[in-house]
Formats: sequence, C-alpha cells, structure tokens
Amino acid sequence: MKLLAARRGRQPTSRGGTIADLASESIRDPVYVDSQLVVKRTEFPLGLRFAGEIDINNSGAIARSLMTAFPNGGTPHLDFTNLVFCDISGIRALVTCAQNLGPGRVLLIHGLPEQLATVMRVTGWADLPYLEICDCEATAR
Amino acid sequence: MSLVSPTPKFRHEALLYAGWPEFVSGTVPFIRGGVEADEAILVVVSPEKIDLLRTALDRDADRVTFANMNEVGSNPARIIPLWREFVDANAGRVPGLRGIGEPIWKGRSEDELSECQRHESLLNVAFDSGPAWQLLCPYDVAQLPTGVVVEARHSHEHLLSRSGTNQSVEFRGVEGCGAPDTRALPEPRSVAFETSIDRPSLRAIRAQLAHHASAAGLSPATSARLVTAVNEIATNSVVHGGGCGKLRMWADSSKLVCEVRDQGSIKNALADRTKPGTDPAHARGLWLANQLCDLVQIRSFDHMTVVRVHMRLGTGPRLSLVTPDDGRDGGTRN
Repeated sequence: MKLLAARRGRQPTSRGGTIADLASESIRDPVYVDSQLVVKRTEFPLGLRFAGEIDINNSGAIARSLMTAFPNGGTPHLDFTNLVFCDISGIRALVTCAQNLGPGRVLLIHGLPEQLATVMRVTGWADLPYLEICDCEATAR
Repeated sequence: MSLVSPTPKFRHEALLYAGWPEFVSGTVPFIRGGVEADEAILVVVSPEKIDLLRTALDRDADRVTFANMNEVGSNPARIIPLWREFVDANAGRVPGLRGIGEPIWKGRSEDELSECQRHESLLNVAFDSGPAWQLLCPYDVAQLPTGVVVEARHSHEHLLSRSGTNQSVEFRGVEGCGAPDTRALPEPRSVAFETSIDRPSLRAIRAQLAHHASAAGLSPATSARLVTAVNEIATNSVVHGGGCGKLRMWADSSKLVCEVRDQGSIKNALADRTKPGTDPAHARGLWLANQLCDLVQIRSFDHMTVVRVHMRLGTGPRLSLVTPDDGRDGGTRN
C-alpha cells in the first residue's frame, strides 16, 4: 500500500478498461494504489477515478487521501464506474470528506454501482446535502 | 400521602383469537377506540386481513393507515423500525397512538418464527422508555402451535381474549426481554463452504461468497446484497470480535445461509434494528444486514457471537453448492 504524489496535466485516458488496465495506467500517475484499488486523478472535471475494491484494508488510507485531495474549492467529482465493491468504512470515508469540504461545497459522485447505491440508500447516506449522486454515465477523464 | 397515577407508557398486548370472526371482533373495537379519540392508527397485517378490516370499519377505515405485514415483516427485524417511525412521526402531535401488528402466522418457517418471537420481546425494550402508545398483536390460537401461544404470554404484558383483558403473569419483563438471545440454532446437515476470517482475507472471502451465491441460484443483485452484508459482519469480527472469526455457508431447498462466528459480544439488544443517524461514526453493519437480507439471526454470549444471514432461494434450477475447489480449510468452530 503506497500513497503517491499526483502528477497533473496529463492527457485524458480511455475509459472502460479492466482493473488490470487501470492498474497498468496507474504506474504513470496514480494518486493511490494497493493490491485491490487504484485511484487516479481526473482533470476534466477535477476529481478522482476509482477502480477496484474498498474495505477496511484501505479505507483509512483513502480517507487520508481524500482529506487533502481537494483543498482549492470547487466541486470535486468522484468517478466510481469501475469501483467493484465499497464497504461501509469506505462510504464513511467519502461522507467524512464531503462533510469537511466546507460550506456550500458538495462532493459529486458519478457512475455509482448498484451495490453501493443500495448501501447508501438504506444507511441514509444517499440523502446528505453535501453528497450528490449523479445518475449520468461517468464523466471523468 | 397522595396517590400518584402511574405514568402512561407503552402497552403491549396480545390478542388471542380463534378464526377470522374473532380477529374482527377483537381488533375493530380497538381501532374504533382510536378513531373516537382522534388517535393516529397504524395497522400492519396481511393484505387479506386489511381487506377484512376495511370492510368491517367502513368509513372509519379512512382514519387508519394500513401496511402489508407480508412485506414489512418478511424480515421481522424491519418491523420495529416501522413502529419507531410511526411513533416519532406522531407522538405529541395527536391525542394518542395505537397500532396492530400481526407478525406471526401459520406457515412461517421455524427460523422466521424464532426471529418473530425475538421481535415481540424486543418491542418491550424498544418502546419501554418512550412515549405512551398501545400495540395489539393478534395471535390465531386455532392455527398456531401451543408453544407459540405460550411464548406470546412471555413477551406480552397484557393479554386480550374471549375472557377479556388480563395481565400476563408469565411476562418475562422488559429486562428479560432485552437479555442476549442465547437460543440454540439448528446445525446444518452439511456445509458447502467454510473458511477463516481475518483482515487480509476479506477480499478473497467476498469472491468466494459471490461464487457460491451464484452457484446456489441467487441473482447477481441478490448475491451482491448478501456479499455486502456478510462482508460487514466479517468486518465486525475483525474490528470488534477479536480480530478473526469463522465463516460457514450452506443451502437447503429454500434458503442460502451464511454464518459468522467470532469471540465478540453484542450488548445492545437493538443493535440490528436501530436506524443509524447520518453521523459517519454510527454503527451500521447489522442494520445494513437486516435491510439487505431476508433474515438475520444473532446469538450473543459473553465471549462468542454467532450471526447468520439468510437469503431465500427462488424456484429456478440451481447448481450444487459444493464444488471441488471451494476453498474449505477444514477448520473447526471456535
């Protein structure tokens, strides 16, 4: 498990690859990578793209990454299209990040998988004002 | 010395009836009493009995909110949250509240019946210290086994029958109702998958669960719900249950069951049926399991907790759960 500094200004990459593809890409510019998750920064819109699985083995590291990922205002976009699994500790990290964004800011989630949408709905986290779920196809590149 | 009236509190009463005419004659006066007192009334029974009551109540039925117990109570641990919502929405806004709930009927499986009886006990715990309201729980004594009626006398402080209203001398009390559930669970005839739980193994366990759930005939969506729930319970073992645990999985003709055992202990009797707030720190695992799965059974001792989650199986063709490479580790129960 290793946190890496993000490199900015890269060209958009193609979407829809496998986790292995994304892991391969992540060698170039991952924000975070471990044996079950790759997180990459996206530029258009500003945000992060997740591929793999989040559970108690990496949710703490994800929470720490998220706390410092969006310091400069604006609306952070999270692309979950390739997030295969996320447990409650992972959602807790997202909620905490969204809470800490500050007044008027929201965390916008794209491509929310059905498994995660169900969990967020039944735990009451889908209705938080600072966490917005976009029902579009994922947009991040 | 002055006499002080007892503070109004939650009144939990079993209606012991035999046949539908007695169901009507036992419930309709109770409902009409609420209508006349301008109370909020929620009736949670089967669709057939909702129709029966609508007919019997005529225009008064418009003053009653009905809910289908077959849906609400398909997992009985979801019933207390419904009553909680009803009480929170109405207490203090209307002169009173009353409800009718019939979670137990002929045809419930043994596992469902067992958890319905736990639900009936936990109602006393859930509402003992809150606003005053009345809940009437019908039991069809002509249809149900004697043991079920005996248990109703243990879990209800009041009994209503042909002979009128009586205090149940067999009521086990609120404290007794909230005691940890240590009833024995039936052993499966065979286990399809068994493995140890620890922190690094969670991802592999999810993959194995998904594989076996699919082999048992669960749809991808249902399988995802099961995997999510079991992952949370296994995570509880890692975080709260001594750092490790044991997982077993099996199926019979009607259901798939996953069991997690660990060395933890659950002290809060309502842990699995208290809706979490939005605060990220609130526990959610057991609540989530009840919302995602058809039945959750919790047995907790001083140094051991067993949680079983059930998913009903459809009627379509199924493959065998047992595969040559199903990852058995030959471990024993802790």
